[in-house]
Amino acid sequence: MSGAGIAPEARLGNDIARQFAHLAPNRAAEAIAVHLETFWDPSMRRRLEALVAAGDDSLDPLLVDAAGRLATHASRAEPDAQP
Amino acid sequence: MTATAGQSIWDPEVDFGTPAVRAADTVSVTIDGHQVDVPAGTSVLRAATEAGVTIPKLCATDSLKAFGSCRMCLVEVDGAKGVPASCTTPCADGMVVSTQTDTVRDLRRNVMELYLSDHPEDCDGCARGNCEIQALAVQVDAAEVRYGRPETRADVAHPQPIDLSNPYFAFDDSACIVCSRCVRACADIQGTFALTVEGRGFDSKISAGGTDFMSSECVSCGACVQACPTSALQEKSVVALGMPTRSVETTCAYCGVGCSFRADVQGEGDDSRVVRMVPSKNGGANEGHSCVKGRFAYGYAAHKDRQLSPMVRDTIDDEWREVSWDEAIATVADGFKALQAEHGVGSIGGISSSRCTNEEVYVVQKLVRAAFGNNNIDTCARVCHSPTGYGLKQTFGTSAGTQDFKSVEKTDVVLLIGANPTDAHPVFASRMKRRLREGARLIVADPRRIDLVRSPHVEAAFHLPVLPGSNVAFVNAMAHVIVTEGLHDEEFVRARCEDAEEYLAFIADPVHSPEATVDITGIPPEDLRAAARLFGEAGNAAIYYGLGVTEHSQGSTMVMGMANLAMVTGNIGRDGVGVNPLRGQNNVQGSCDMGSFPHEFPGYRHVSQDDVRAIYEDLWGKTLDPQPGLRIPNMFDSALAGTFRGVYIQGEDIAQSDPNTQHVEAALRAMDLVVVQDLFLNETARFAHVFLPGTSFLEKDGTFTNAERRINRVRPVFASKVGRDEWDITCAIGRAMGYDMSYAHPSEIMDEIAATTPTFAGVSFARLDEVGSMQWPVYDDSSTGTPIMHIGEFVRGKGRLIETVFVPTTERSTRRFPLILTTGRILSQYNVGAQTRRTANNTWHPEDVLEIHPADAEVRGIATGDLVDLSSRVGSTTLRAMVSERMPPGVVYTTFHHPVTGANVVTTENSDWATNCPEYKVTAVQVGVANQRGDAAVAQAREPVETHA
Ligand code: SF4
Ligand code: SF4
Ligand code: FES
Repeated sequence: MSGAGIAPEARLGNDIARQFAHLAPNRAAEAIAVHLETFWDPSMRRRLEALVAAGDDSLDPLLVDAAGRLATHASRAEPDAQP
Repeated sequence: MTATAGQSIWDPEVDFGTPAVRAADTVSVTIDGHQVDVPAGTSVLRAATEAGVTIPKLCATDSLKAFGSCRMCLVEVDGAKGVPASCTTPCADGMVVSTQTDTVRDLRRNVMELYLSDHPEDCDGCARGNCEIQALAVQVDAAEVRYGRPETRADVAHPQPIDLSNPYFAFDDSACIVCSRCVRACADIQGTFALTVEGRGFDSKISAGGTDFMSSECVSCGACVQACPTSALQEKSVVALGMPTRSVETTCAYCGVGCSFRADVQGEGDDSRVVRMVPSKNGGANEGHSCVKGRFAYGYAAHKDRQLSPMVRDTIDDEWREVSWDEAIATVADGFKALQAEHGVGSIGGISSSRCTNEEVYVVQKLVRAAFGNNNIDTCARVCHSPTGYGLKQTFGTSAGTQDFKSVEKTDVVLLIGANPTDAHPVFASRMKRRLREGARLIVADPRRIDLVRSPHVEAAFHLPVLPGSNVAFVNAMAHVIVTEGLHDEEFVRARCEDAEEYLAFIADPVHSPEATVDITGIPPEDLRAAARLFGEAGNAAIYYGLGVTEHSQGSTMVMGMANLAMVTGNIGRDGVGVNPLRGQNNVQGSCDMGSFPHEFPGYRHVSQDDVRAIYEDLWGKTLDPQPGLRIPNMFDSALAGTFRGVYIQGEDIAQSDPNTQHVEAALRAMDLVVVQDLFLNETARFAHVFLPGTSFLEKDGTFTNAERRINRVRPVFASKVGRDEWDITCAIGRAMGYDMSYAHPSEIMDEIAATTPTFAGVSFARLDEVGSMQWPVYDDSSTGTPIMHIGEFVRGKGRLIETVFVPTTERSTRRFPLILTTGRILSQYNVGAQTRRTANNTWHPEDVLEIHPADAEVRGIATGDLVDLSSRVGSTTLRAMVSERMPPGVVYTTFHHPVTGANVVTTENSDWATNCPEYKVTAVQVGVANQRGDAAVAQAREPVETHA
């Protein structure tokens, strides 16, 4: 079960992170960040960053890494890394 | 042509007697002095009709292979002996045919007299003018019958009561001439084999398997009714109302097959009424066939439950108040503006509908992007085929199926995954079954033993009962076998794909083997290997799939996995192959094409693309947001967080159709302004503050795009019953919010779509009226569309092989919830049932039932017909059980057509990782004998819904 009680951005972000977990951590985090930039509304990205800042322990470490890269990304037309 | 093309006086389609022949060579024949060139193999009967010469016929019709039994169509051929039947005689070059010699006239008259000798003089059809017998009798000069003629239907040789058991058509044996057109239509066109000819000679009669139609195998497709030359098989609506006076060519508004129909109508203007819907022979998707929904279940459009006036209320606990259109639109516009002033531009959004036309959907996304000023636009495709869009875009470069429906006629092996076409896409299923009867092989991958696994004259080579949630492991295992056994198409992979080396190494890893994954997939490895070999060795192998693929936590990954499988076997870019989504709703493809996703403009172009945004900014005169907006589930979450406060919902019942009903209802309750535009006061309207009445497909003027990317015209049979068109209502909201969006006619909306979307550049109402339909991409006015995509090159250049790692869903059976629930559809009902439940289709499916394996039923003390409680971690509901070996142990199944059952009360918030398409196909549940509360709910569910036939 994923979900009950955790923030939507954590639940949805963790679902994405799990799909990239087979990649090397750096590549995985980059791919997750690109996916979030391509498909997530900015308000959701900001809420995710706030969860990271608050040290939410429900977040997948890869998601935390990806969230840290969001600010450096411009919005993307296409994801360029896939699971 | 104008937008009213397709309307005419009533004029039945010409019946050429035998099907058209596709052949490169032509032959030239002379018939009664008229010379005509036809493709080699064309029958003399057809050639004559094409030359304008009418040859009498009874057992032949152009939807069926010639049978040659009635001997009405006899002709003489110069230099040949005897009088051959023209329906079974192929034209030969230089042939000279005479159709009106004394010899053939005499013979025809004799035959006709025999038919008339048992055809009652009081035949209703003859009186009504839709029994061919009367007209033929005059044509062949057999008005007088030497053997006498029964005066009434009671006087025929073997009088039978009229079979009225089917709600939509009647069978009057006394008018039947046993031409067997119905039997052949049921077998050859529909593929159901419900009818037979019983007895011999004069005693022969048509039988629905020895019982009445309703108790037989009949699925009420109407093919036999259409084929019948007399009024023996007749629509009850024609019996009640009489013959039509005009017809309008339009498109069915149910499933993604997108069948073309002629609406046969009586009256003009507001007095117009539909007498019947008849499938069009020229329909590109259906070529003259139909199913029970499109053919008969149109009565909802005139149902008394339709709400025809706009209504408003201050809170959802208040009574509705009917208001003028101006007041309703002002309430919406003022409310949305106030919310944005207080909570920000992003605090409102819109949801477009796959039931609406492309033009209606386009203006909703324009309203959101240009007037609301954000990208908070999503569509109900979110909950069905969004993973198709994502997966096919990533791998092939565009978010659509690769083939036309006709392509299946060239397929040697069909791999059908998570789809049940005989119920959900029946007209395509008939096409597929025809190909299977011709010898194509079928692999069914589905937890449930669907009808196609074994039905008359069709038997799947393999049924692979893939466990819910394990699709990716399954498709990887298929590719693993093909690659490790050297069955892949190395040349195709080398020339047309990228990332091939990495993918081939990935998929060859033994972790993907059928043996290593058997505990995940539940498929015996030897079966999976044999199925993979069958697929890999096929000349043309095609994948067809449905929501059993997309509605999973790895729906998008699975779509990419199937694309991989097609690419490694070289099954892309020609007839007979491809990756083919069977879309649920009539305009799912179109609503996605029209920019209904929060990250994409029309034509699947990301909102961050500066050049694309510039096109719309120039035309619309607004600066547009370069960031994606909220998806439907994000809207719900944001509503509960207090940041999303108002929504405009076009024709979608999210409170019933979306997962985790309690969560959806809480989100709707949390909003300040919910605007629902629909035909009926649906479940979502319980939470609405403004209700805007919508129009049915019989009132719409526009286009739908079906699952094969075919853009079909939808034409109004009568004017909007609510006084306004839906696209115009949307535009009025924009104008009231201070953004001028105006069109004089929906054709102007399509012109704007064409001007801004390269794949639609050559599309216009005028061109569609001229050529019938076109499959996008239509890059310019010289193109009539693209039936098969990715020939020679993928849209994205090279096809991309993507490593599809299996990641199990987090939804697992537990001790508390030990069974897995999966969901589906049934033929006679459609989605949440808002339309079909308001028709006589309820006769077939009055309630949703839970299918459960005998072993699971036995340990719970459950028998067929028992009321059971179905509960998951989020909710519970009550419905009736049906013990069935169609289900594997551990998996239960239900449909979601009836609101009282509320299957979505138990489905969870889990979704596809990439698109958030809900994981409807996997919910851990428990089932037990029901308590009292459940009894009450089911009693309520069983209340008959008043229907219009
Ligand atoms: S309605 Fe369709 S299924 Fe039923 S008997 Fe006629 S052709 Fe067969
Ligand atoms: S197959 Fe689909 S489109 Fe065709 S008549 Fe039936 S519901 Fe309508
Ligand atoms: S129409 Fe040719 S034999 Fe019946």
